Amino acid sequence: MHLPDGLLNPITTIVLWIVTIAIMILGYFRMGKMFEKEDSEKMIPYIGVLAAIIFAFQFVNYPVPGGTSGHLVGGTLVAIILGPWASVIVLFLILVIQSLFGDGGITALGPNAFNMGIICGIVGFYIVVLLVRIFNKTSLKKELKVTIATAIGSYISIVLAAFICGIEIGISGTIPIEIAVPAMVFWHILIGIGEGLISALIVYYIYKTKPDFITSESILKVK
Amino acid sequence: MSIIKRNKWPLITILIIVVALMTVIAVGFTIGFLSENPDGLERVLIDYYGEEWLENLFSPWIPFLSWITNDYVAGIVGVVLSITVLMGTFYLITRFKKKKLE
Repeated sequence: MHLPDGLLNPITTIVLWIVTIAIMILGYFRMGKMFEKEDSEKMIPYIGVLAAIIFAFQFVNYPVPGGTSGHLVGGTLVAIILGPWASVIVLFLILVIQSLFGDGGITALGPNAFNMGIICGIVGFYIVVLLVRIFNKTSLKKELKVTIATAIGSYISIVLAAFICGIEIGISGTIPIEIAVPAMVFWHILIGIGEGLISALIVYYIYKTKPDFITSESILKVK
Repeated sequence: MSIIKRNKWPLITILIIVVALMTVIAVGFTIGFLSENPDGLERVLIDYYGEEWLENLFSPWIPFLSWITNDYVAGIVGVVLSITVLMGTFYLITRFKKKKLE
């Protein structure tokens, strides 16, 4: 889903850059108490681990039927672990590094961070929050509630990001919107299955091995 | 030295993860488990315009690291860069936030 340079028109690109920068600044101030704690430096090496995982997963593509491939975006996953606001900054920085390799354009960094950081990160996270509230009414175990919610939330967020990406391409006049949107959504309905499964497995693994690493639990309000 | 001692386990975890990721990338490409097919967006653009059009899109710059054509090397450099940049940024964020509290 990495938009290359020259695909979106200047107006769409500038608007998405402004929105992304504004949300990143807001994100810095709303990142939560996690980074103000006395021992918060202890989290930093783990953020490094998470960065390596997200870079590697975005770097390698798994096969999807129909002659395409998918890769993990990881926005919702990062948001579950570090909180929704930190996820935008993490995804933006990962996208900067990927653009150095030519994976996603430098002028398209704003739109890419909007799609993968804000839609998959923040929107995906709040879909998970909503699902957890629904699952709280069931007798499921805590880790299962978050795992299932992550799988569904990640899936919905990647399809939603593809839908919005299709609109951006359509608005830019690159491909007619009535072709761009269904095509983007169709492929990502398939690709999203991998995103949902992998994200859910990672969250489940963290819950089993180091549950305190899920720093967004206070927002998730899982019972 | 004390920093290394204090963060022994996170550092060991980073090393293990990096080695595991490199193995997954190497094995994945070797046995063909990983795909070099275009991803969803590329598929849509190729279906509409063709591969040549996608390769000739205007870009204002040449990516600094695009000369690395080997997937394994690019993977290692990218993982190391990601760890460094993210740890550095969040270290600064933590410092600024704590300073503000003081």
